[in-house]
Amino acid sequence: MGTDQSRARAVISQFLQRTNKSVDGMTDDTGLWGDGLGLDSLEAAELSAMLEDELGSDPFSAGGEMPERVGDIFAFYEAAPSE
Amino acid sequence: MGTDSSNSHQPAAHYDRVHSAWSLIMGEEFHYGYFEAPENPLERATAALTEQMLGRADIVAGDLILDVGCGTGRQACDLAANLDASVLGITTSGSGVAAATELAAESQVDGARFERRDGTDNGLASGQFNVVWVLESSHLMRDKRSLLSECARVLVPGGRLVLCDIIRKRDIPFLEVRSRREEFSTLRAAFGDAHMEPLESYASAIQELGMTVADCSDISAPTLPTFSAWRSNVVAHEPALQDLLGHQGVNDFVQATHILESFWRDGTLGYGILAAVKKP
Repeated sequence: MGTDQSRARAVISQFLQRTNKSVDGMTDDTGLWGDGLGLDSLEAAELSAMLEDELGSDPFSAGGEMPERVGDIFAFYEAAPSE
Repeated sequence: MGTDSSNSHQPAAHYDRVHSAWSLIMGEEFHYGYFEAPENPLERATAALTEQMLGRADIVAGDLILDVGCGTGRQACDLAANLDASVLGITTSGSGVAAATELAAESQVDGARFERRDGTDNGLASGQFNVVWVLESSHLMRDKRSLLSECARVLVPGGRLVLCDIIRKRDIPFLEVRSRREEFSTLRAAFGDAHMEPLESYASAIQELGMTVADCSDISAPTLPTFSAWRSNVVAHEPALQDLLGHQGVNDFVQATHILESFWRDGTLGYGILAAVKKP
């Protein structure tokens, strides 16, 4: 896993800890919404901002399709590494 | 309040924490007011909102009523005492159940009892209540379809559901949520993990459950003065509120009232009320 993906993983862990959501059993296939991490739009906005602060861009506000799974976030940084 | 955001994601924990403070700010009825005139006192306006619900509930003596998200228990006690009805109030808040039970005992109201249950999975027997009363609690339940389904399930045929709550009046795009996240975070810190839906989505969900919507009204305008009334009560009870909520919590609350007021005015959020009948 590349550096950006590692940093993204650290941001996600930090976010989940802050919002009191469990990271137990989280995999790349874990969904971000509903029965997965259960993010609502405000939580997604907060995670989006944290990722942008750390990595300069984020998959939620980049204008493409919204990420559905944790792995989609990593794939975004794999495809477009930060400068 | 506001310093531990994790509690704001748990409605029951949030209510347990703010219960005493909100009683000072919102009064015993613990909900928005319906201001027939902007200068009316909050107590009269909250009673008027209850009247709006009562006018749609058609409660008669002997009715069995389920109060979902019963708050302080005040409405349940009043319904039982004034209308000779039997009321079961349910809430996920432990301190809410205790406070409501104490209120019923103090008021010597035999017809109201309270249990800790989840409105989206209430565990009650089907087809037993004449009226299901959901006053300003649905915004705290993410799964509104389950809430409405449970309400419909426990009603007798011909029974009535009455519901009022904060509503979302337009789509809020993700980028707007992101750019205004500080405002939304302040609302969450002050009022908990709220999820507002359009009034029409309640109505369509109710219809899909086989019920007939008898009334569906936007009452945003007469509820707008609620925010200034709450701020007046914050000023009136500031020392006690500082003890209960802390400086940050009081500031969060006041700021949240300004944010909500602007959302009411720009048509982002508002207040709705509806009534529906379960088909016989």
